Amino acid sequence: MLVENVTMLGHKDHGKSTLIGSILMLTNSVSNTRIEEAKKYSEKLGKPFEPAFILDSLEEEREGGLTIDSTRAEAKYKDLAFEFIDVPGHEELIKNMMSGASFAETAILLVSAKPGEGIRKQTKRHVFVAKMLGIENLIVAVNKMDTVNYDENIYNKIAESIGRFLSNIKFGGEVRYVPISAYKGENIIRRPANMKWYKGMPLLEELYRLIKGADKKDENRFNKLRAVVQGFIDNDNKKLISAKVLSGKIEKGKIMLFPGNIERNAKKIILKGKAVAKAGEGSSVAIEIDKEIENPRGLVIAKKGEEPIVANKLNALIFTTAKLTPSSKITIKILGNEVKCNKLNIIKQIDATTGALSKKGLIEPLHAGILELELESDIAFERYSVLKSMGRFSFYIENKFGGIGIVE
Amino acid sequence: MIEQNLKELEERSIFILREARSKFKNIAALWSMGKDSTTMLALARKAFLGKVPFPVIHIDNGIDFPETYKFRDELTRKWKLNLIVAKSEIKPEISGFSCCGANKTEALKKVMKQYKFDALIVSIRRDEHGVRAKERVFSPRDKNFKWNYKDQPAELWDDYSSKIENEGHVRIHPLLDWNEIDIWNYIKKEHIPVNPLYFSRNGFRYRSLGCTHCTVPLKSNAKNVDDIIKELKTTTVEERSGREQDKEKEYVMQKLRALGYM
Repeated sequence: MLVENVTMLGHKDHGKSTLIGSILMLTNSVSNTRIEEAKKYSEKLGKPFEPAFILDSLEEEREGGLTIDSTRAEAKYKDLAFEFIDVPGHEELIKNMMSGASFAETAILLVSAKPGEGIRKQTKRHVFVAKMLGIENLIVAVNKMDTVNYDENIYNKIAESIGRFLSNIKFGGEVRYVPISAYKGENIIRRPANMKWYKGMPLLEELYRLIKGADKKDENRFNKLRAVVQGFIDNDNKKLISAKVLSGKIEKGKIMLFPGNIERNAKKIILKGKAVAKAGEGSSVAIEIDKEIENPRGLVIAKKGEEPIVANKLNALIFTTAKLTPSSKITIKILGNEVKCNKLNIIKQIDATTGALSKKGLIEPLHAGILELELESDIAFERYSVLKSMGRFSFYIENKFGGIGIVE
Repeated sequence: MIEQNLKELEERSIFILREARSKFKNIAALWSMGKDSTTMLALARKAFLGKVPFPVIHIDNGIDFPETYKFRDELTRKWKLNLIVAKSEIKPEISGFSCCGANKTEALKKVMKQYKFDALIVSIRRDEHGVRAKERVFSPRDKNFKWNYKDQPAELWDDYSSKIENEGHVRIHPLLDWNEIDIWNYIKKEHIPVNPLYFSRNGFRYRSLGCTHCTVPLKSNAKNVDDIIKELKTTTVEERSGREQDKEKEYVMQKLRALGYM
């Protein structure tokens, strides 16, 4: 069965965990034991039954009513399986949100319609970061409709406002809007009687169609060979290296490794223990080469005449969790390499909640920006728009996680 | 139970095992002789061209099932495993939480220190338990084996952090994405040997294997791998419901794991 990763996004307490909990129950994807356990615990805390407890299983999460780290749960729908990734909504936990959301291409953004909640900074920030992480399809779920008497006007206002924000940040992907009550399980798998004005499909059906539609237009992908070397297969035999194919196909014969323009003959390609003529995207292969390479980790394999970009300078859109100044000491992690940055030029700061630009020469925490990086040594990469897996990186400031970047 | 694409799962696990092998100097794997850690060894054989290139540790409290010891010795010979048996002392007066927390974790600490392992492969899966679902693929432990679940490292795409903090070690979880039924489908496809205790005898079988003191068999007529797959497609019973430590009280797994348990 095809499993589609779907990440939740949105401000804390807007209903991410509750929605997954409800979906699991409505699709019979969770055992009675786990539901009973969540029920018992809700009672113990003196709360009405909280579907979020099916997901939030750490003591601190239940007592505090928040999600600390991302988790996953699967639900079947028609011929698809959705793997829902729950993420924390708190600002200070955005590192955990990024870790969870980086596995998905589709997201559900929760926006609470409840008076006093609505669209928050974190709502927008999550969308901005998710887009950088590779999210292409988005469902905007306007939640807690039960608290506003299923008012169409309130729903429309939120939907329009999110729509404006998405166009400000040039989101670009497919977007659908659905009014729901996650807590009451309304408009999740069945059309709601109390929102006759809503003309679309229930949430899971919209999600299903969005994913099926995206599959069809899975277009002109990059098909030149790119494979990244992990290391030696065995320490006794340095002529056997392991690599993951990121695009195209690897075949026996001449290969080039970058940086360094190293030419080798791939004598044998081994896939899962068997010698094969070629191996395609996603394969983890072992390659027997004619001559040893010292320290092969992080090298990029390509065919002659189809070189990747090799440079020590690059421009990137980044999102940072800590303050960045030109004197920040950063290291980027890209394709298994850790490379120090010698020079950091901050071109502009982008407010991730509005898309507004400013040129202050620094980037505030939880903001985005455009950087010009000069690295200690050459790396092989591609622009993110050409090949995602070779154009994205994470960065560390003084050995602490700083954020993510994509190469422009 | 959702059945995933075995080819993709296999690719990912092979990638993770090789990533561990190239990032750490001295790795080992835990082997309980259960279906998951045995499947992990089969994957390692694929990743490393027919052999398991790291030692496998059995935390032996002396009260595992006779079938388990027999299975261990047979497969060790057949797959030429480098087996380390770490004896843990069993005290009759303690059981459940304190038994797993104290005895097994202590024995593990000792063997990790003795051999100076910097990474440990553990075959846990997300679908087993809500707390295990919170794990990273590469998960650091400090020198007291503590799991800092409130501040885990970032793990983006397939870039796993390998920083060792406070002279601890890193847990490697190559099977995190697998579901219970995927394991059985893979066992079937690859003809992986399994401990006979998983198959029904007199109307009962073990669905999850621990030691003799804390594991009870569940009602089942599944006599072979095909029967088990069929059973899992319709069951509503939790996999680990035969394990005492999981239901003893709330947050037992969280506490055990925070202390360094597998």
